[in-house]
Amino acid sequence: MNHIRRLTFGREIPNMENEIKLDPQELQIQGILDRYLTSGSNRSAADGRHIDDDSLSAFVEGTLNRRESDSIVTHLVDCGFCRHTTSELVRLDLAFAEEAPAQIAANAEHSKISDVLSGIFSKIFGTTDGAVFAHEEKEKEKEENERAVGDEKIEKE
Amino acid sequence: MNDALQTHCDSVIGQMFERCHENAPNFGVTSDCFSRSLNGTLERFKKSSSDDLAEKDVTDFLGQIQADDLFMAIACANGNERAWWDFDQQHRAYMERVARHLARTEMDATDIVDAVYEQLYGTRIVDGERVSKFATYSGRGSIRGWLRTVIWHSLVDRHRAGHDEVSLDEMTENVGEGGAHANFAEKPSGGDETMVDQIARDRYRKATVTAIQNAFNTLEDHEKLILLYYHVENLKLREISRLVESEDSPLRAWFQRRSATRENNPAGRIHESTVMRWLEKCYAKVLQSFRSQLISESGLSEAEIAICTQLATQDLAGNSFFNNLNVSRSAAEVSN
Repeated sequence: MNHIRRLTFGREIPNMENEIKLDPQELQIQGILDRYLTSGSNRSAADGRHIDDDSLSAFVEGTLNRRESDSIVTHLVDCGFCRHTTSELVRLDLAFAEEAPAQIAANAEHSKISDVLSGIFSKIFGTTDGAVFAHEEKEKEKEENERAVGDEKIEKE
Repeated sequence: MNDALQTHCDSVIGQMFERCHENAPNFGVTSDCFSRSLNGTLERFKKSSSDDLAEKDVTDFLGQIQADDLFMAIACANGNERAWWDFDQQHRAYMERVARHLARTEMDATDIVDAVYEQLYGTRIVDGERVSKFATYSGRGSIRGWLRTVIWHSLVDRHRAGHDEVSLDEMTENVGEGGAHANFAEKPSGGDETMVDQIARDRYRKATVTAIQNAFNTLEDHEKLILLYYHVENLKLREISRLVESEDSPLRAWFQRRSATRENNPAGRIHESTVMRWLEKCYAKVLQSFRSQLISESGLSEAEIAICTQLATQDLAGNSFFNNLNVSRSAAEVSN
């Protein structure tokens, strides 16, 4: 048994703690398997369907249980598209995990709901939506009512 | 689902609703609406296996649901303004960061976020009702994880729209960081082929290819998947560790069920070295199966097996060994 650093296909140099004993035959099979897998020869015919966004993200987050996950794992073995998607999501997840949590914009608390929604609907429709105008009217109406109540109080005093 | 189990479900869902409603009383989500969504998810969960569901299964399953995220998604799907405002405040910045990370230009990122908002709101009307993408979120994972996936697919769709002639595989290999390295169809090397007679060489090659194919196929799906992540998707050990970080990760649970270390540290962090050990076990299984295939199926001797592996190893440099196996992409994947 030789002491050979493992996983030496030019992609990863593990930490020293990961250095393990490797049988030369295992090293050979690792190389053969690498070429076999990357040649796409193992690709099976998928049934034309892909995993939905909900299940894909749950798989990446590790929140599917065994009952649900077996069929997903089988699909990921056969479907390069879904597998590649999960890989990219993992990379993204890791990249973001190392960043500080997103800071909510400093002015968020001061934004009016109507402003935010107007922005959303203008992005979607290219113009503000009627519902938002209605909301704005409600806000204005509310403000006017509050002002009127205040005036009444002053008058009474 | 029998009556007793349905009653149990209704009770758990009722408690979940109360909690969510207390947290977001202005979202306008009704108990019926919330219950309908969760019962639909439970129904899919039930169909995912032929095993009967017990009360504990239902309780555990519902306990995993990201209830507050689901509550917000239902409210947004219904067009509730307060929910949309909360969603926008909590998640827009994150969505923009994700889009910027994945897209090539700032303009692309902005376009993608706009397109996703459009999907989330739903501009398509079916049977008089607006179809919101939020309606497809079930709370199985976090809403941010789901948004990330929606953004990724939106990016892929966008890329496909501009590259009709490119297969889905080729295209996904070019999107994101993981530009796959599986460019196998390289020119064969002009290596010295005089060492072994060509006929014998072909025979050994054929035997080796068949043996590695069969050896890989003897693995269980979880083992195949981890090998595919490492070799084909080029995920690093650290990234695979991340994938199995959750204690509930199906891959982690599967490998740990087969590992004695689980008893010592069932909930511990999965280090890169652990993933490496999992891979090592897979290689050992493949090697054993590979050798027994060559002996039993091809009738090769130890000396001939050595020639086979030597040939394959030599050919690695020229990348020619598996060229004849380079099958066309699956029609199903290309057409999607």
